Amino acid sequence: MEQAAPDPERLLQPAPLEPLSHPDAGLESMVGEETKGARDEGPGDGTMTENNFSLKKIEISVSEAEKRTGRNAMNMQETYTAYLIETRSVEHSDGQSVLTDSLWRRYSEFELLRNYLLVYYPHIVVPPLPEKRAEFVWHKLSADNMDPDFVERRRIGLENFLLRVASHPILCRDKIFYLFLTQEGNWKETVNETGFQLKADSRLKALNATFRVKNPDKIILKRNISSGILADRLYGVYKVHGNYGRVFSEWSAIEKEMGDGLQSAGHHMDVYASSIDDILEDEEHYADQLKEYLFYAEALRAVCRKHELTQYDLETAAQDLAAKKQQCEELATGTVRTFSLKGMTTKLFGQETPEQREARIKMLEEQIKEGEQQLKSKNLEGREFVKNAWADIERFKEQKNHDLKEALISYAVMQISMCKKAIWDILKDCAVLFCFSFCVPSGRKKS
Amino acid sequence: MSGGPPKALPSTGPQSLRDMPHPLAGSSSEEAVGGDSTPSPDLLTARSFGDKDLILPNGGTPAGTASPASSSSLLNRLQLDDDMDGETRDLFVTVDDPKKHVCTMETYITYRITTKSTRVEFDLPEYSVRRRYQDFDWLRNKLEESQPTHLIPPLPEKFVVKGVVDRFSEEFVETRRKALDKFLKRITDHPVLSFNEHFNVFLTAKDLNAHKKQGMALLTRVGESVKHVAGGYKLRNRPLEFAAIGEYLDTFALKLGTIDRIAQRIIKEEIEYLVELREYGPVYSTWSALEAELAEPLEGVSACIGNCSTALEELTDDMTEDFLPVLREYILYSDSMKSVLKKRDQVQAEYEAKLEAVALRKEERPKVPADVEKCQDRMECFNADLKADMERWQNNKRQDFRQLLMGMADKNIQYYEKCLMAWESIIPLLQEKQEAK
Repeated sequence: MEQAAPDPERLLQPAPLEPLSHPDAGLESMVGEETKGARDEGPGDGTMTENNFSLKKIEISVSEAEKRTGRNAMNMQETYTAYLIETRSVEHSDGQSVLTDSLWRRYSEFELLRNYLLVYYPHIVVPPLPEKRAEFVWHKLSADNMDPDFVERRRIGLENFLLRVASHPILCRDKIFYLFLTQEGNWKETVNETGFQLKADSRLKALNATFRVKNPDKIILKRNISSGILADRLYGVYKVHGNYGRVFSEWSAIEKEMGDGLQSAGHHMDVYASSIDDILEDEEHYADQLKEYLFYAEALRAVCRKHELTQYDLETAAQDLAAKKQQCEELATGTVRTFSLKGMTTKLFGQETPEQREARIKMLEEQIKEGEQQLKSKNLEGREFVKNAWADIERFKEQKNHDLKEALISYAVMQISMCKKAIWDILKDCAVLFCFSFCVPSGRKKS
Repeated sequence: MSGGPPKALPSTGPQSLRDMPHPLAGSSSEEAVGGDSTPSPDLLTARSFGDKDLILPNGGTPAGTASPASSSSLLNRLQLDDDMDGETRDLFVTVDDPKKHVCTMETYITYRITTKSTRVEFDLPEYSVRRRYQDFDWLRNKLEESQPTHLIPPLPEKFVVKGVVDRFSEEFVETRRKALDKFLKRITDHPVLSFNEHFNVFLTAKDLNAHKKQGMALLTRVGESVKHVAGGYKLRNRPLEFAAIGEYLDTFALKLGTIDRIAQRIIKEEIEYLVELREYGPVYSTWSALEAELAEPLEGVSACIGNCSTALEELTDDMTEDFLPVLREYILYSDSMKSVLKKRDQVQAEYEAKLEAVALRKEERPKVPADVEKCQDRMECFNADLKADMERWQNNKRQDFRQLLMGMADKNIQYYEKCLMAWESIIPLLQEKQEAK
């Protein structure tokens, strides 16, 4: 997931956009205990508010999901899921948390927030959202957005999104983000009023679409696909073992001394078969963690695309400027080296007057002056962009390495404990097998 | 019972519980296996088996400190103590060393049969001969003919049903060898069958074919008489105990058949899972090549998954080679036992018919004619033999299935132990970097 270092010399950024950071919206956020798989992100570094806004720690959680029906833009009935976002502030002194805000949002609002952040923070690797549609819902027949497992996983994904934004040193100060957490009604209008959609570079969207899946991502994506099929197969293995339960039970009914042992074996199989549900839940959780970074990679690429685009703009402007300079020179010296429409029409319809020529030269000179200034500022802004983007990319890389390591460790730990439990279960049931059946003590009287 | 069969040897069933070492005995007997299956105190007599180092899992926690090696070896030790008392054994037979013979007409496998015995029926203390499947088949037929009142053990399938299996593959030959060894050992353990002349010839003759041609008809008294029972006698009521046996065998075979089918399905699912797993591991390798700090751990995960795949493959093979054959063998056994039951019915039917005929003659002093007496004799012998054999069979069946299930449990434990080791090995890869940060 590494990209080549952008060349500092050739950078450009389109019209600078100011993040709408409200001075009072300094939030220092902390991962809440309610979250599943709590992350230890401790973003204490540099997220302090500069002004006198009282120091409050914020805990954010997406605690519930609810099915709703409503009317959509085309006035048709639709069903969707709404998610409850709760924000708690933690008083420093006693560590008690107080519920400060709670509101309901649906997935499309999350999307809106993210798109806004993408436009206003082009140099930041913006955290990804969970999948829009249910893709691989293992061992279930259809991919259903209303499926409770999917909704649950999405709830976790949305919570992770908010937590990551809140723990980002720059993003956490954004006013729109703050309002997302606090202002239920009217938020959509507020976002749209920023006019961010106009500011969004449509070329960027097009570029992103064409370069959807690049090599590293394909591999991780494939891994996730594998994980889905793998989970399916594993499920099959466990569940068929469950068929043993009934047969062993029926068999034990016709046996005298062997009965207990066979019952034990059958029971063991039943327990084994039902253990798959917990196992797959853990597998799914792990797959989701990897998927998050797959989507993160796309965000990373967006930053680089931005850079490429701005570089293209810079080159175009530079070329434009050079052409104008040349034109000016030709007019001044009277030599026509380059083709121009004016030159042609002059040849056809007669020379222009010296006054006309002077006017044109003057106009060009002004344009050149403007162009040079613009180029200078664009260059400057470009370098700023690179510096900031690079800083964020470094931050992202460290976070990624840390998170993935944790994910791998907990996955390995899960596998280890699963193996130990399996061994234990077998030994336990074997003890019954051996001790209490299959043996005919010599002292026992046979009827 | 007049003129019964030769005295039966002491039962060769499993030893008494009292004599067996308790699996949880030893230094850590306080830490019993789980809380729910604590055995009663009188079973705690430990016999010195040389297994003082029995290490057991701690209390009831799954994450106990059981060392991997000990879980599996514990099971192995538990299975060892079922051997017969060494003192009463005077005949030992083994089947091993399969060899392929290529002749102009055919290709076939022979097995070496080694016999050691102190019995007077054997001229030499030791014999070593080579036999092929045909010879075993001949032996079994002879035994059925000459000992019709006894249960003859089954042979592995003669023909390979699914034509895809290679008759000369290592796995097939080994599976067959094990079954043939079992067959001979069962006969060896039988107090009557082991003295059968055909068995003796099978074990000792240099040239078995010569004997086959001679058509030795050394039938025992009972065998000869039973052979001449004409068919066509209908039995009205099977005695309760034999009816019970018949019903039992029916259900037993049915259940085993179901288990066989389930086992085959599990193997199929496991193979499909294995295919996916084998693709999954290398993905981590490819990913690792793109990373810097994560490269080593990811490579480790790839290797780990590879190891788990191999372990699963071994487990699946074990199921096919060890578990399925025993199920099939017992199904065959049940079938042959049911035909013996039917023969018994025939004998009883003949006796009852003849008895009825006498009763109908209405003589003043109905003297039971000699041939009716003979019939009664035959029937009672048959019943006795069958009952004794059934009990023997039940004991052996118990032993066999205990060994089978424990064996499968052991193999499963080994599988999990391998996976455990694989996953534990990558934890340090992930952690040392964390600490270095």
